[in-house]
Amino acid sequence: MSLVPTLETENLILRAPQESDLDAMAAFMQSERSHWIGGPKNRFETWRGLLSILGHWALRGYGLWHIEEKSSGKSIGTVGILKHDGWDEPELGWHVYDGFEGKGYAFEAAFAARAYAAQKFGLDGVISHIDPTNTRSVALAKRLGATYERDGQVLGHACHNYRHPKQADL
Amino acid sequence: MTSIPTLNTERLVMRAPGPQDFEAYVEFRMSDRAVGVGGPFTRSQAFDHMCELLGHWPMRGFGRWMVADKTTDQPLGIVGLMYPESWPEPEIAWSVFADGEGRGIAYEAAMESRRYAYDVLGWDTVISCIVPENTRSIALAKRMGAVQETSFQHEELGELDIWRHLSREVLQ
Repeated sequence: MSLVPTLETENLILRAPQESDLDAMAAFMQSERSHWIGGPKNRFETWRGLLSILGHWALRGYGLWHIEEKSSGKSIGTVGILKHDGWDEPELGWHVYDGFEGKGYAFEAAFAARAYAAQKFGLDGVISHIDPTNTRSVALAKRLGATYERDGQVLGHACHNYRHPKQADL
Repeated sequence: MTSIPTLNTERLVMRAPGPQDFEAYVEFRMSDRAVGVGGPFTRSQAFDHMCELLGHWPMRGFGRWMVADKTTDQPLGIVGLMYPESWPEPEIAWSVFADGEGRGIAYEAAMESRRYAYDVLGWDTVISCIVPENTRSIALAKRMGAVQETSFQHEELGELDIWRHLSREVLQ
């Protein structure tokens, strides 16, 4: 098996991060919206982040996919399961870059990633850490059937933990 | 993925970094020994850096090894080949943990990395990028026969001197 499996949905391909993703990722990480995920970061830091995403798969056996829009071949965001040092459980996370929001892509990607994680990684009923002021992400979590569980902290920032339903309960 | 090869030298094993090395790696990244490579860092950053080390291998097809004691497998440092975005060329890089200090470990592993670059990867030349204040690393570069060629200004790390190692042709 390759390090990162490739998934296909109706409109998207979820695949390993690659060097050609750097431009799109760097543009996002320099934008204001990147503060939800620890930005802004310069291009070099973003390159290092790209390698980290790949290495997380090697260390944990699961990680973040880069999302490619089938129709354009463009890199439009990331989705997947992360477990940083010190986290008591893995989380499902997503972000879609500017210009690709409002198409249901984050839902489509997160739905597929969540199902794959349950089936192949044994990670069923995972959580998502969400900044409560990130209303779009909160709305998506709810649309995915996740419910508020408790207040938490992620990398020093307050967040809300949303619990996803198990696959059998969908 | 590109699997990470294991190399053996006289006293060392150069192998894939793994979860068993994390605490030793964190200690190094949080210590003053990491000043020459942009640190010291937090534990959380060290986790990202460990992932980054691993991710370089599938991205580039080569990378840095965990250098461990051949007998005990105790991790002693990080040495190998890397080619970050924005770098002028691929380089040999080395860092030694406190427990590996003063034993010629960086030299032994860096020499093996150079051999791997030439004999296995087929490179003709390789450099090392070193901050001008890092006198210990400069001493090691010189010991390997490298000569300072020029320097460049890195957006994140500041001024880095480029040391050119002996070429494959010269070593043959």
